Formats: sequence, C-alpha cells, structure tokens
Amino acid sequence: MTSRFTRYGIKIAWAFVALVLVFLYAPLLPPAINSFANLGDRGLFTHYSAILTDWRLMAAVRLTLLVGLLVAVIAPLLALLAAEAVRVWRIPKLILGVILIPLFVPGISMGVATALFFQILGISPSLLTITSVQVIWALPFAFLIVLTALANFDPVHREAAYMSGANRWQAFLEVELPQIHQGLLGAAVFSLILSFNETIRTAVVQGGNNTVQTYLWSQYQQIGLSPNLYALMTILIVATLALIALLALLDARRR
Amino acid sequence: MTKRPLFGGDALVRAMILGLPFAVILILIVGPLVLTFVISFWQKTGFTMRPDLTLDNYAAFFSGVRLEVLLRSLWVAFSATILMIVIAYPIAYLITTRLREVLVRPVLFLFAVPFLVNYVVRTFAWSDLLSRTGPINSALIAFGITERPLDWLLFSDFAVYLGLITAYMPFMVFPIWLSLSGIDRRLVEASWLLGEGPFTTFRRVILPLSLPGVIAAAIFGFVGAFGEVAVSLILGGTGYQLLGNAIQSALSVLNYPLAAAISSVSTLLMLALIVAWYQFFDLRLMLGKIMMRA
Repeated sequence: MTSRFTRYGIKIAWAFVALVLVFLYAPLLPPAINSFANLGDRGLFTHYSAILTDWRLMAAVRLTLLVGLLVAVIAPLLALLAAEAVRVWRIPKLILGVILIPLFVPGISMGVATALFFQILGISPSLLTITSVQVIWALPFAFLIVLTALANFDPVHREAAYMSGANRWQAFLEVELPQIHQGLLGAAVFSLILSFNETIRTAVVQGGNNTVQTYLWSQYQQIGLSPNLYALMTILIVATLALIALLALLDARRR
Repeated sequence: MTKRPLFGGDALVRAMILGLPFAVILILIVGPLVLTFVISFWQKTGFTMRPDLTLDNYAAFFSGVRLEVLLRSLWVAFSATILMIVIAYPIAYLITTRLREVLVRPVLFLFAVPFLVNYVVRTFAWSDLLSRTGPINSALIAFGITERPLDWLLFSDFAVYLGLITAYMPFMVFPIWLSLSGIDRRLVEASWLLGEGPFTTFRRVILPLSLPGVIAAAIFGFVGAFGEVAVSLILGGTGYQLLGNAIQSALSVLNYPLAAAISSVSTLLMLALIVAWYQFFDLRLMLGKIMMRA
C-alpha cells in the first residue's frame, strides 16, 4: 500500500531518531575516558583508588548513599498514600494537580524557597533539609509509577478479601501488596535514580555538607575538574545505569 | 460497589494519614514558595534581611543587566522549547504509529536512560566533547572538514541549546506519546472515510488531540530551560547568564530578598502557564489510561 516515497520518508525518519539517540548517549562516555587519563606508570584504577583515600569524597559518597536510601523509602510510601487518596477521595484532578507541582517548579527556585523556609524556621542545613527537598522532587514520579501499578490492581480482589473475613490491613498486606509490590519497588528504584540525578536543588539547601553531585558541582566552579572527579562521575553513571537495568528487570517481570 | 478504604476506623485518623503526602507538598513546597514571594518584598540588611514592604528588589531585577538576563532567558527558553517539540514530536509520532506493540516500551526506554543520568555530569561531558581539543574538533580536522578547531562549538549559543535540548527533550517524548497513543483510531479512520488526505487528517484531527501532551511537555521543557543554572554556566561560558544564574549570583552575595524576587517571577510565570494549561485541557485525556480504574 505505502508508496516508495513514504517508505523512504519513514527510513529517513528512523535515521533521525537514531541520530538523536547518538546525541543523547554521547555524553555518557567522556567521563569514563577521562578517568583513565594521565595514568603514568601507576595502575589503571589510580584515580579510582584515590577516591578511597580522600576523606571529603568518602564523606560525600556516604551522604549520597544515605540520602538516596531515605528518598527511596520515603517517596514511594508517600506516593502509595497519595494514590490511595485518589481512590478514596474521588477528587483525582485536584490530587494529581497538587502532587505534580514539584515537577513544574524550576530547580533553583525550589532550592531557594526551601532554603529560605528552613532558614526562617531556624532549621540549619542538614540531612533533614537535603532529604526533604529530594523527596519532594521524587514524589511526583514515584506517584505516577505507583498509580500505574494500582490501576492494574482490580479492587474486586480487595472486596473478595473483605468478604472472606479479612480486615483492612490483612486485605492490604495479603491481597493488594503482593500484586502491587513490584510497582512500589519500581517507584523506590526510580526515586533512588532521581536522588542520584539531583544537584541544583540540593546545592542550595546543603550548607556545609556535600553529596557526590554537589561536590562535583562546587569543585567545577572553584578549581575545575580532575581525573579523580572524572572517576567519581564514572561511578555515578555506572551506578545509575545499573539501577536502570534493575528497573527494566522489574518491569519485565511484572508483565 | 462499596469502597472500603485501607485505613479504617476513625475517619479523622484515616484522613490524616491519607492527607500526609499533601501536607508534605503544602508544607515543603507550596508554603516555601509563598514565603519566598513574601520575602521578595523584604529588605536586605548587611548579612541578613528584615521584613518590609518594598519593591526595591523588583526594581533591581527589572533594570539594567538583570533585565537583559530575564529577556534572554525568556527567549532562550522559548526557542529551545520550540526546538525540543520539533524533535520530540516526530519521535513520539513514529513510536506511536510505526512501531510494533512489543517494541514501543523498549524504544521509549532508550529515551529514558540518558535522561536519568545526572544532567550536570552529562553537561560536563558535553564541555569535553565540544572543547577545542575535544573529539568532535579532532574528528573534523582529521577528516579535513575544517583546518582549525571550530570556536563556536563551546561557550556559545550553540553549546547552550545543545545542552538544554539533550537535558530536557528526552523526557518530553513521554507526555506527547501518552496523548498520541490515547487518540481513538476510529477518529483517524473517520477522517479518511470523509475523504481527507493524511496531511489534513494530521492537522485537523491528530495534532489537536495530541495538544494536551504537547503543551505539558512544552511547559516542562520551558520551566527547565528558563531556570537553568548548570548548562548556561558550563556550556555558555563566563558572562552567559540565564535566570537561574542570576538567582545563584544573588544567593552568593547573600542577597536573599533579591534571589526571592527573581525566583518568584519565574514561579509566577510557571503558575500562569500551568493554570492556562489546566483551563484549556482535561487532564483525563492524557492520564485517562493511568487513572481509568483509580
């Protein structure tokens, strides 16, 4: 049916898509290449092992992992409550509108607003302020994922549990949770990825603390990037890619 | 069918538990944004600030160099968003119409992966790729396309647009795909049966129906580019300022009221865009699939 003209057109269109993908993936390579530069006669992983002996970097790594873990636990739980509220309260448009707000606030504005808020309240920059701002940022994404998982759960199953004499918690834990737990896990992994993704908001509320991401950012602004920092970036990229692979695996299992 | 919610018993306790995420959003983002607006009328005093009702901060913002920054941010964000839509729309369209069902998710996934890697790190990487001694210039010289390294690759408008587009465009494919895939095929067929060709069908049926997703994507891209900090600093070079950089430089001299004023302008602009979007489109058109049974 399709003429030769449109068939060529479609081939060109796919070539365009491929070209766009090349542009999107190209930036994932240079940090890895730079992390193996200027090795001299030292080992291949010199710049990587240098991270281990730099206490400031190690403190940043620990903080990044801690914040990431907290965000990965808190955001999906809040998302589950919000998704539950969509079902109970019957005002989905309003709920969606509220939860998606952080998606549409410019990153630096969000940082400034929360920083001023904590300052007025006398809460000094800490793990609390960093985690709060990252949870808020991850919540809309986690919410959409959990909502999708809940949409695949037929409430009739819960009704059946009630009729079999289960109370609300039993119905949730024994009937609903097993069906939606992979969605929750997906939301957790996604939240962790978003936490690894975050620099600008965190940089405004962190005070004297540093995550890996904000450490890179401040070093770039102050003295420039070194091979050690490229090694750190490479680790960050690889960790993110590993988490994405995990997400894909979860998704494939759900289907 | 009666719905028995998860947290039973005391209705108040249930409302409080279910209300938790909204309380968090209200306290940690809506409240602070309002507070920021209030502080934008305060006065800077030495290293701190005191409550006041002055328009000085806005006057400082809307005059001189910072006005230029505002106008440039508006233009860069607007034009970059147009470019992002022009790139993202055909991609979403191809994925929706020309791809077998099993391949849709993997291809969408390909666009999600780079978006999920820290974008500041990706922007650092662009500055390496585009530098005078970087691989792109080396390749261009090796192939004899140019004799000397191209200067305009880095620290230029070109670099900033490239950085912005690769940072925000991938995510824009998703809302556009969502609204395109939600279009009832029968409407397209009806247009065919009524004798319209593919271009008219696209212009009068498909494009209008996909607009909610396009506008949602556009707002996302615009807001991101408008408040940009990293891309302009790393790829624009010294002196290239977008609104986010103006906020950051106000912060770095501890002028919080001015930072609050600039920040509030961008927040209000964002609010206006969202309200307009909300007025014109029904969210369910786009999120109907997700919310079907909710």
